[in-house]
Amino acid sequence: MEYQVKNISPNNFEQCIKCTICTVYCPVLSVNPDYPGPKQAGPDGERYRLKDPEFYDKALKMCLNCKRCEVACPSGVRIGDIIQNARIKYDHHAPLLRDRMLASTDEMGTLATKMAPIVNTMLRFKPVKAVMHSVIGIDSNRTFPAYASRTFESWMRHKAPDQSGFKKKVSYFHGCYVNYNFPTLGQDFVKLMNSIGFGVELLKKERCCGVAKIANKLIKEATRDAKTNIEAIRASVGEGRPVLGTSSTCIFTMRDEYPHVLGVDNADVRDSISLATKFVYELIDSGKVKLVFRPDFKKRITYHVPCHMQRMGWAIYSLDLLKMIPGLELVPIESTCCGISGTYGFKKENYATSQAIGKELFDNILAANVDLVACDCETCKWQIEMSTGVPVSNPVSILAEALDVEATRRANGL
Amino acid sequence: MNHTQPTPHYDVIVIGAGATGAGTARDCAMRGLKVLLVERFDFTAGATGRNHGLLHSGARYAVTDQESASECIRENMILRKIASHCVEETGGLFVTLPDDDLAYQSTFVESCKKAGINAEIIDPKEAIALEPAVNPAIIGAVKVPDGAVDPFRLTTANAIAARRNGADILTYHEVTKLNMSQGRVTGVTLRDQRTGEEKRIDSDLVINAGGIWGHGICALAGIKVNMFPAKGALLIFGHRVNNVVINRCRKPADADILVPGDTISLIGTTSSRVPYDQVDNMEVTPEEVDILLREGCQIAPALAYTRILRAYAGVRPLVAADNDPSGRSISRGIVCLDHATRDGVEGFITITGGKLMTYRLMAEWATDLACKKLGRDAKCETATTPLPGSEVTDSNAPVSHGKRHIIELPTDQKAAQGRHGTMTADIDFEANNESLVCECEEVSVGEIRYAIRELHANNLVNLRRRTRLGMGTCQGCLCACRAASILGNELGDHAHALRDLCNFLNERWKGMLPVAWGQTLVEAQFSSWLYEGVCGLDPDTLPPSRTTETPTHAQPSSTAKA
Amino acid sequence: MKYDTIIIGGGLSGLVAGVKLASANRKVAIITSGQSALHFSSGSFSLLSKVEGEKVSDPIEALAKLPEAHPYRKIGSENVRNLASDVPHLFAKAGVLLNGNASECHYRLTPLGLWEPTWLTIDTLAACTDPRNCPWRNAVIVNFKGYLDFYPEYLADGLNKMGFTTRCEEVTLPELTRLRKSTSEMRAASIAKVLRGNTLESLAAELLRVSGDADVIFMPAVIGLKSNAETDRLSQLVDKAIRYVPVIPMSVVGVRAESMLRRLFESLGGTYLLGDSVKSGDFKGNRLQSVRTVNLGENTPLEADQFILATGSFFSQGLVAKPDAIVEPVFGLDVECTATRPERYNKDFFGPQAYMRFGVKTDSDFRVSLGGKTIENLRAIGAILAGADALKEGSGAGIATITALHAAQRILS
Repeated sequence: MEYQVKNISPNNFEQCIKCTICTVYCPVLSVNPDYPGPKQAGPDGERYRLKDPEFYDKALKMCLNCKRCEVACPSGVRIGDIIQNARIKYDHHAPLLRDRMLASTDEMGTLATKMAPIVNTMLRFKPVKAVMHSVIGIDSNRTFPAYASRTFESWMRHKAPDQSGFKKKVSYFHGCYVNYNFPTLGQDFVKLMNSIGFGVELLKKERCCGVAKIANKLIKEATRDAKTNIEAIRASVGEGRPVLGTSSTCIFTMRDEYPHVLGVDNADVRDSISLATKFVYELIDSGKVKLVFRPDFKKRITYHVPCHMQRMGWAIYSLDLLKMIPGLELVPIESTCCGISGTYGFKKENYATSQAIGKELFDNILAANVDLVACDCETCKWQIEMSTGVPVSNPVSILAEALDVEATRRANGL
Repeated sequence: MNHTQPTPHYDVIVIGAGATGAGTARDCAMRGLKVLLVERFDFTAGATGRNHGLLHSGARYAVTDQESASECIRENMILRKIASHCVEETGGLFVTLPDDDLAYQSTFVESCKKAGINAEIIDPKEAIALEPAVNPAIIGAVKVPDGAVDPFRLTTANAIAARRNGADILTYHEVTKLNMSQGRVTGVTLRDQRTGEEKRIDSDLVINAGGIWGHGICALAGIKVNMFPAKGALLIFGHRVNNVVINRCRKPADADILVPGDTISLIGTTSSRVPYDQVDNMEVTPEEVDILLREGCQIAPALAYTRILRAYAGVRPLVAADNDPSGRSISRGIVCLDHATRDGVEGFITITGGKLMTYRLMAEWATDLACKKLGRDAKCETATTPLPGSEVTDSNAPVSHGKRHIIELPTDQKAAQGRHGTMTADIDFEANNESLVCECEEVSVGEIRYAIRELHANNLVNLRRRTRLGMGTCQGCLCACRAASILGNELGDHAHALRDLCNFLNERWKGMLPVAWGQTLVEAQFSSWLYEGVCGLDPDTLPPSRTTETPTHAQPSSTAKA
Repeated sequence: MKYDTIIIGGGLSGLVAGVKLASANRKVAIITSGQSALHFSSGSFSLLSKVEGEKVSDPIEALAKLPEAHPYRKIGSENVRNLASDVPHLFAKAGVLLNGNASECHYRLTPLGLWEPTWLTIDTLAACTDPRNCPWRNAVIVNFKGYLDFYPEYLADGLNKMGFTTRCEEVTLPELTRLRKSTSEMRAASIAKVLRGNTLESLAAELLRVSGDADVIFMPAVIGLKSNAETDRLSQLVDKAIRYVPVIPMSVVGVRAESMLRRLFESLGGTYLLGDSVKSGDFKGNRLQSVRTVNLGENTPLEADQFILATGSFFSQGLVAKPDAIVEPVFGLDVECTATRPERYNKDFFGPQAYMRFGVKTDSDFRVSLGGKTIENLRAIGAILAGADALKEGSGAGIATITALHAAQRILS
């Protein structure tokens, strides 16, 4: 019979066999019984919503979109996507002003960097926090990451070492955080890539990856940004420059959420969108480049697997790269969610849930007694630093710091 | 429930608790007759529970059978009013595919109009917009007032209405004898299927509403009524593929109706003649599955890759009028036989033929005849009196489903509201009762308890018919054990519950087996692991039940509609 | 990336093989798409409980009665005995303590109160060599209020039959009451996440309160999702025997065993790639050179000398049923099966099902074949093997662990 040979429909939820495994791994469910859980919110609920949209449950907004349910699912159900898509399709409430502000990282960043010192002071000022808490709904326990007075893009244009001399080149998707808050990470990336013989260029045009807009249901805006990004990525790939990032969330969003949630086709370039750690690891693994490290670099660290890194399955690259640093002692801890989930933890209604989710991770980090936590995601960084006091660095920064640049350049024939 | 102690004498005994029997009991009781409704298994265990659940507009019969068509549309409009909680007003399409003759469309529309059916030709593009699941290649489309009707709910509501009007109900009681005296039927002899005990019950009149099995009831009185068993197989898809009924606009043939029903969609039917001795033994063959898929994919291409939950088959209870081997050209018309005039046997009526859509009219005819024979003068009010669950209250008055006002309820209560309408108010959703037993279909502990206590459910298959327990994606894998435990507690008999759990799992498997590939097989294997493996369940080694053993044949071996 | 051995499938079989190989200092990677069927484990492992419907008293002795194509027969009775005796040691290294031995079965108490013969059982679970002569006779069966997946009434029946005195009690704690806010989520794992830390002390107090003169407490096995710490602590707090009864659908003891085995595997240097699946293999001659996964993509071939396929049966997608075919989806390996639908299934749900015996074809050394050609360095282990009806035989966990150890042994020799 020619029918039903592949009986998996676009309605991927019907792959679900109701085994309940996803419910074990949902970080929200573990701390907040008001959330219906991935099974009920996802495949079970979707069946009912197809029957009657009135069955949409507004508690679905409690989903972190961490995708740990998808990683656990033995049947390949894209539970997180089902939930996100349901929010987009069935929840017709307009996003709050607060959600718009939190989600509009580009717009806010552009404004804030121009007056960085004032904004930074204001955002740390208690009365301002109190107003933001009560009026806008941003939790007063949170501290906004400080804005840099100069964007990474501007540094690249004016101050970066000359990139034109490199034969091999990559494009860097820096993301909002590197651009507006933490250009140092971008500079570390340039240092690392240059030392193994790759020049770095910016994309012709870069917009926010859209993860925050998706989470806050600004779908039109997210789609517009996604299209801009994919167009720029397509141009870069067409000119022989793969696109690398240092944020697992940005990369995950552009690879997987674009097609699955926003319906933006990226099939032709998806394989060329990668994390720096994966890219560099593959070069080393295939014998094309070498890294040489400083003998005096000594650190005891642990690696936190961000949820989207877990979903991509790429933690292995960051870990294996870090393991190459001779002076680095790596303490393994279990992979659990930190609870911040981008803008989620900033909302006052989610603060308690957010911290309760992260507690296990914070306890594990403190027990590990490390100098530093390595982590590929900036929002995890804020959360872990705020909640444990232990500094967090991107693996690319750790590599850049541990690297013996000159020796590495020589080893790569530069 | 089901602890009815029958009184020694009734005006009327109605045999068979399908839609027609339950409807007849309701009508009789509303007209002031003292009624006993008897059923050898459970409500809807026969053909009522094994069809499309289509609220026919009558359009399907318009070309071939005007009488049926106009009966259908009249009853269609009545059911929308009196049974709103059993009906979903989906609307229907008759689509013409490139291979079909578009000329048929005009004949069809004309016939519809003649029968009083509002059939409107629309642009195929509009049809696709209305129902995106329809084959985009269609060259013609007609909009008709089809809908979906839940036969389980409809029958239960009729039975409850009968009860509320004073009728007694005995399920799991088989008529073994029609008591005869001087050429007239004076009552029935019943065997309690669980205890084996026999009892005689007298009545002035017996109404045979046994569907295809009515043939056997007649035989008990020495009367021959030729019935024509025609088997129809259907497939149930895992979720709503379509939200509008899709029919094929051609002469009725295999698998040309796709009906959305609650959380699922149904394609059917095939049609094949079966010997009378096979009516209790319906199995869906691989060939039937293949036909259903091949034809079904024509009207909705998504069926080619959508997960199939199960397959089942029913027997059309048609009275043979000719020798058509397909059984299709036979009139769906109602046959109401007064055996006094037909066969010289007084006190005995058979109501048969017809179809689910006209069950109320059949009941009316039978009750009219019963009243006439009993010399009662009472008017039929079933067409204007809402069924229990569908009463118009202030809160649900604006819309037929009572949908809008339940928006803020938890989803299990919303789901229950869809199933029980206004009767949902009788369900206890407090504290321990709100937990879900069946997660796929959102059936709570409270709803299960309500069905056991109030809706004549004493095993898991009954519970499934009353609540949709185990009808969802997992087909009972996750919920059967939970439900069995509640059943055991309610009945005070855990051994019975364990045996019943085995019956239920077997009943679920029989429907899955014909389509056991992909995730449907995975689900079955998962169930086997959990119940046979982890739980060690084995029907051969279970202790016997203490009291209410349900005989294995109490679950008809044919697969029931999920 | 290059490994000595790559194991596809991270369930019971894959983990056991992984631990064995990593213990011998091999560089091993396990690739697993989602969590495994261990999540539904009864907490007991059976070696062989029935042959052709007849109960078995000495599993090793009964091996000879199995058909020749059965995985145990390929390994041979003596080897099965030796490997079986290794299993508890391997689990003990992970911290999972198992009672029982291969030559004499004991009985486990199932969620429905039935006593089933088995080989090994996690030490805290309700099991007994002779249920009529357990050390305790006076039992209290304790459930959590509102928890639907535990059936005290069945257990009471099962215990009463063995001469126990039983009493059923319900307890609750504020933390558990809170869980009941959700209509669906008072599940085994949710309870386990709550019953830890200080909550155990309140639980212990409740248990002591309701247990009265009982000498044993039976309760659902919903404590200790990741380690033994919680059950150990509760035992310290309650000076009575506590025996846990497994529940369906989610097995907290199974999750715990899996997580402890995984931690052992990773601590031995193993790489565990969760949520990834192999999409293709690069074959050269009769050897598999490398595999490519969905997550790591085309640019990261995972190379190895030896490969093990432990992707399980239909449940774990190790086999996929199509309307007219049964396929092994990773490599398209040769499969032993009957193709037509009616031949696959028994109308009786509880009867022997032909499909349960389906699996990949293997030679005497469990090496698979592709298009009739044996692949020299790809062995299949566990539930994906053809020729056994693990459910009817009560041999699933036995086959999973013993074929895993056997394959590891062959690779190491």
